[in-house]
Amino acid sequence: MKWRRWNNILHRDLGYLCFGLTIIYAISGIAVNHIADWNPNYRIERIQSTIDPGPLAGLNGDDLVASILTLIGESAEIKGSYRQDPEHLQIFVVNNNITVNLKNGTVYQEKSRTRKGLYEMNFLHINHAKKLWTYVADLYAIALGLLAITGLFVLRGKNGITGRGAWLTGIGFLIPIFFLWLYL
Amino acid sequence: MTKTVFVLLISSLLFCVPAFGKTYGKGVHVTETTPVSAILANPDSYLGKTVKIEGLIIEVCSKRGCWIYVAGDQPQEKIQVKVTDGEIVFPMSATGRVGTIEGIVDEVTMSKDEMVRYQRHLAEEKGKPFDPASVEEGKRFIRLIGLGAEINE
Repeated sequence: MKWRRWNNILHRDLGYLCFGLTIIYAISGIAVNHIADWNPNYRIERIQSTIDPGPLAGLNGDDLVASILTLIGESAEIKGSYRQDPEHLQIFVVNNNITVNLKNGTVYQEKSRTRKGLYEMNFLHINHAKKLWTYVADLYAIALGLLAITGLFVLRGKNGITGRGAWLTGIGFLIPIFFLWLYL
Repeated sequence: MTKTVFVLLISSLLFCVPAFGKTYGKGVHVTETTPVSAILANPDSYLGKTVKIEGLIIEVCSKRGCWIYVAGDQPQEKIQVKVTDGEIVFPMSATGRVGTIEGIVDEVTMSKDEMVRYQRHLAEEKGKPFDPASVEEGKRFIRLIGLGAEINE
């Protein structure tokens, strides 16, 4: 049958085309699925330390920020600062958010590093890119649909959609229906 | 040779540093900026309205990027911008950057117990100590439901 040949060619070639993105979406899917248990985008290190607030007395603005950064050994680029209240100063440097209690010298640092590779996969998966990527992702979704449909008709006979395939496809439908019945 | 080039190409696609977009969600379309101080001083007249605010981003939800705090135009003033999980994800790198945010003014009223739970959750997430005694009473929160943002990253 000629249509089956074309079906199989479409299935094969779409499979090759979708491989990369499917792997990315699969890995990111697992990562994001467990967001309640871990941070899929960043490794965050929180450090609490104490500095002597004495030398900071009388300092303001850039001098105060520079002195604190020197005291904690931070040399990354400064993005900005914010006075939460008379006691607390927040300093933002690249990959580190620092909160200082100017009264007792307590310093909280929140250092963040992106999870290399995974961050980029999540970036695409959750469509943070928007713009043209939205349409690429739409095309990918359509391709996945075609892959699924053409996949049903790749084989003939007892392992095809009229035999074993029918049972497995049926189970595939029942799984989401069961969970909808269970949780909805 | 072809194989090496192919592997290098795939690797570079996966691990290159992407040019991250600076526009989030639906972007910002409201032309007039509303000072945060005006919203906080008279929230009832802004509730349900779509506004644009501007300010330094002083905190980002490190877990899901689903909220930020924006410093107001008056000292020690800030407002939370909450976005739908996954719809907009603010990166950690947004802290310390100036952002323009469009959103709907919203209110959340919390009892004292709810406030304690909320503050404890925030403290745990940030790895900071929390003293329940620091919460004296419930509170009415004025926040924005974020629709879009532009961040000067």
